[in-house]
Amino acid sequence: MRSPIRIVFEQRNETPKYLSTLVPLISVIAALVAGGLFLLATGYSPIDTYSNMLSDGFTSSRGITDTLGLSTVLICTGISAAFAFQMNLYNIGGEGQLYLGMIGGAWAGLALGDRLPSFVMIPTVLLLGSLAGAVWILIPAYVRSRLGTSEIVTTLLLTYVAASLVDHFVYSPGSFFVTKNSAFPQGRLVPDSASLTAFGDTSLYPTFFLVALLALVLYWVVKRTEFGYRIQVIADSPRAAHYAGINANRTTLSVMLISGALSGLGGAALIVGPFGRLDPGITLLGYGYAGIVIAALARNNFSAIIVSGILFAGLRSGGDKLQISTDTPIHIGVMLQGAILLFALGGEAFRRYRIHAVRAERAAQ
Amino acid sequence: MNENIWVLASADSVAIATTLILAALGALFTERSGVLNLGIEGILLTAAISSFLAADASGSIWLGLLIGSLAGALLAGIHALLSVVLRANQIVAGLALVIFGTGLANFLGKPVEGKTVTTIIHPLSFGALSDIPLVGPIVFGQDIITYASIAIAILSSLYLFRSRPGLELRATGDDPATVDAQGLSVASIRIRYTLFGGLLVGLGGSWLMLAQSAAWHQASTTNGIGWIALALVVFAGWRPLRLIFGAVLFGFTLQLPFTLQAEQITFIPSALMQMLPYLATLVALIALSRPSTRNKLGAPKALGTPFVRDER
Repeated sequence: MRSPIRIVFEQRNETPKYLSTLVPLISVIAALVAGGLFLLATGYSPIDTYSNMLSDGFTSSRGITDTLGLSTVLICTGISAAFAFQMNLYNIGGEGQLYLGMIGGAWAGLALGDRLPSFVMIPTVLLLGSLAGAVWILIPAYVRSRLGTSEIVTTLLLTYVAASLVDHFVYSPGSFFVTKNSAFPQGRLVPDSASLTAFGDTSLYPTFFLVALLALVLYWVVKRTEFGYRIQVIADSPRAAHYAGINANRTTLSVMLISGALSGLGGAALIVGPFGRLDPGITLLGYGYAGIVIAALARNNFSAIIVSGILFAGLRSGGDKLQISTDTPIHIGVMLQGAILLFALGGEAFRRYRIHAVRAERAAQ
Repeated sequence: MNENIWVLASADSVAIATTLILAALGALFTERSGVLNLGIEGILLTAAISSFLAADASGSIWLGLLIGSLAGALLAGIHALLSVVLRANQIVAGLALVIFGTGLANFLGKPVEGKTVTTIIHPLSFGALSDIPLVGPIVFGQDIITYASIAIAILSSLYLFRSRPGLELRATGDDPATVDAQGLSVASIRIRYTLFGGLLVGLGGSWLMLAQSAAWHQASTTNGIGWIALALVVFAGWRPLRLIFGAVLFGFTLQLPFTLQAEQITFIPSALMQMLPYLATLVALIALSRPSTRNKLGAPKALGTPFVRDER
């Protein structure tokens, strides 16, 4: 027996413009409401939690600069994820590529030492970090383009390998990356020539503007260049791309390497910015994973990633300070990230389909 | 070299394989129906902490296992809603589930961080049998869930390849249009097996907590086992029996660092040893995707694609 009322999905021929903004917005609100109910059920005050997150993340001057500072690395991992996702390549190992960016950046900073001026050092550190990120995705990218090995699990597995590598470089005796004769293992600080100065008393570094600019450049690359056009054709129809004589394998390889490099850049930005050293604490922060959420919420639109990156940075930064201001566990921030993405995915159905209930007789026709 | 420790290591491999078998079986049932659930790692974590809290509050292992399994099914239900009913991108939905599940588990686990669960699952005792050298600890030194997981894998194989509903399940993953034409509901089959898959993954996570870890340490409780389980399904060619062997093999690489440490073999740095299971999985995945082996593996043909009848 079928129920008399059936839900029918009718594909929209054209998506109304307002829905593309409205759906993510409602998703965020719905996730916050659901999170509030969850907080209430577990015995925490949603109002206290949210108002603290809001002021620590966005509305206080300290909060907003902290948020923008944190958004630097999140925009990096966001554009990294989106660059691969837009071609249906699911590089979910941005987390590991980020660690490699830190290792590469720290190595460049420490190896070149104080001999070079800042205007050479900073770009070198950023470049080597990006390169290390690209190297970390090389094997998944190569086997994906040659053998068709799914990149999803391979990129993710390498994240665990990268985490062990960070541990190795920090905890193995006599490591190049750590301070000699220190009471406990700690990364060596890179020389001053390889560190940028934050604006005033904040944690906002000039790299923020570099990264935001990079997101806009990528937006242009995808929309306006021949390379971007190739990506779109392959994403829409691999067969059409094949007949058009586009070498999909080569494009796959380049797109994945660029994606890895962007996450690596995020790691190197932490070296010239707030961290200044190889810090094993990075493996607990999940900046790379957050990039996946940021990209998905912005629907792989590079200029929208700047916005969703800042939004998530505020959520994280406000969430991280919760433990101090209230007794709510900081993990609510990560939970909300996941919840927002889940709601956004559900909301996508309303963007793509006209959903309505009809009587069974009509639906059966 | 101490021979005994290698026997214990082999016994441990079989034990660790329990979570891998259950989690991979859960993924296998889900994928056989055509749904790709990448959220296994998040489901494992949430199930683990749920079983911890339930067992701690009630003092009952069984209640812990039950609540953990149900938590697994509940999270899988979110995935079913998104990917089957709302036709969302299954890959991103699965990843969202990992992030959500990790946050949720850490949130719930905050009050018991580092604490040990009061009741744990003990190995069964077979009297004299357990004392047989070599065979004793490996075959007769396990707990009830480990034996059950192997039994479930064997039953799953019979169900999949020797029963009518098993045939319908495989058909749903390979050719949903035909199943639909037979008058069966593709959506209902997919939702059911996604939930059942979540239940099995949840049981695996609960066992990991109550028998293996016993103490809650955030994400290191699962440490990527969910991802290895997903690779294991590919490795086993979506067949439950092969999965048992694969799980013991991966179980061996997972506990090897600890054995080597106990043996005081230190010429390989321990951090590098910890990479081994992930590298081994990676190599296995790449080796299996050579063109000569790929076709024999038999991935469900409609895996990851939503079934849409209304569209023309």
